[in-house]
Amino acid sequence: MTSWHIDDAGLRDWIGHRERAEQAASVELHLLACGDCRERVRDAHLYEDSRAPALDLVWGRVRAAIQTPRPSVVERGLRRLGLPAADARLVAAADAFRGPWLMGVLAVLVFVVLAAQFGRSSGQTAFLVVAPLLPSLAVAFSYDPSIEPALEQELVTPYPRVRLVLLRTIAVLGLGAPVVLAISPFAPGGAPFLWLLPAVGFVAAVLALSTWIDPLRAVAVVGAVWLAVVLAAAYDTSAAVILDGPYRITYLAVAAVSIGVFALRLRHLRELRTGRSGL
Amino acid sequence: MTATIEIDSVGRRYGSTWALREASFTLGPGVTGLLGPNGAGKTTLLRVLATALPPTTGTVSLLGHDPAVPAQQTGIRRQLGYLPQELGFPRGFTAFEFVDYVAVLKEWTQPDARHEEVARVLDAVGLTHSAAKRIRALSGGQRRRLGLAQALIGSPRILVLDEPTTGLDPEQRATLRAVLAEVAREAVVVLSTHQTEDLAALCERVILLDGGRVNYDGTVVDFVGQAAGRVWLATEPDPRARASWRTGTGLYRNIAEQAPPGAELVEPSLEDAYLLLRGAAPIQAATR
Repeated sequence: MTSWHIDDAGLRDWIGHRERAEQAASVELHLLACGDCRERVRDAHLYEDSRAPALDLVWGRVRAAIQTPRPSVVERGLRRLGLPAADARLVAAADAFRGPWLMGVLAVLVFVVLAAQFGRSSGQTAFLVVAPLLPSLAVAFSYDPSIEPALEQELVTPYPRVRLVLLRTIAVLGLGAPVVLAISPFAPGGAPFLWLLPAVGFVAAVLALSTWIDPLRAVAVVGAVWLAVVLAAAYDTSAAVILDGPYRITYLAVAAVSIGVFALRLRHLRELRTGRSGL
Repeated sequence: MTATIEIDSVGRRYGSTWALREASFTLGPGVTGLLGPNGAGKTTLLRVLATALPPTTGTVSLLGHDPAVPAQQTGIRRQLGYLPQELGFPRGFTAFEFVDYVAVLKEWTQPDARHEEVARVLDAVGLTHSAAKRIRALSGGQRRRLGLAQALIGSPRILVLDEPTTGLDPEQRATLRAVLAEVAREAVVVLSTHQTEDLAALCERVILLDGGRVNYDGTVVDFVGQAAGRVWLATEPDPRARASWRTGTGLYRNIAEQAPPGAELVEPSLEDAYLLLRGAAPIQAATR
């Protein structure tokens, strides 16, 4: 037996699960040693006073467990990769992370690789036109206003828009990376990973251009320029020359300049485009 | 009264079109209604107040901060709730997931506290029992209430609502009024609506916009008072009236400076005042 006892309020808080963990542990240790206080726990008056909050707490947890849906496959995957649960939810909310869309992009990539393998020079040209654009297209889909219907609500929250955009960009590229790496050895040419250089430049260019225009339009602009460059090279000699030395430096320069422009114009991501409807 | 929204000579231009011109007012806690025809500039003004759009001209101060300064804009957004006119939802989400998603964006990172807050706002708009439903399975009115729920997260000090009553049935509108009346005890609530009865039931103050300009700014009582002595019930429409229409009783309600023959002067309504102050082309009801 001990010489002191837990006061009524403390006991009620313990029964009602309102104490912090360390305080509750202290009460429990005391109860193990004190028969008088154990008797008081059984006291009907104390129990009645505390039962309602305890039931509320339990009911709240039951309701939360029922209402809180199981995260999607993508969201669970992102969590397993180490992304905090809140960030995983923000990333997975984008349509670009829905299964059919992801599978569609990857299917296109597989088809152009197959075309390059079996379609000779025209297959190679098709691969070089399409493959480097796919990562930027996937990125654009992850935050384009036309694909992201909740944009207007999202914009006026304190969460940094640029963080959301970059988070989704990294997630898109991260999710696609294993497939890209698995497919690249079958890409045409002696250096199968070289096509990723323009792809990196295009992703950066789309991010930069999206501070002026919507991301999907930015992909269209970049794609049009790229198509002209590849076709011109194919007409002149071979489409493969666009992966040669001088071009590589250009892609890196495009990436570097674009990142700079993006950093300078970040604030334009924080507001609606003026072209959106409604007066 | 603590002023929490102050705008001075605010204008907003889209290309060569001015959607809003020279708007100036100060708002404190309470509900203010924006009234005006389509294209009057209501949505633009609400977007400016919600920090979604910067003004082309003029200055805006929200809670004493300047939304043009990025750090201050973030501070404002922490205390802001916004229901846009065109409400969009991420595909495949349940009602709970959507509000939870917005709560994450509003920096509720602790899951237990966030889920509790999500349950609170869903309960406030009467959607507790629809929390686990997919949004695509909700009715239009339920979706609108879901939009209101996400705006209520964190008990914002500024609540900007673009046509919150669209698609709501009378019972749901009554629920909404009760929610907003509670919120407006401490927060500044600015809403736009086409429903004059909502303004009468909810708002202490009304701002009438027309052609991008503020045409009237005052209390609802004074607003209605503008039409006092100008609303007449008669058996026939008055060709000189600014507006004239047949009511459910078969009599014609005329808004006119002079009494039509045999007409009875009646109490004006908010709608009468709106039609009078709009100064639009005369509205004449078709005869029987």
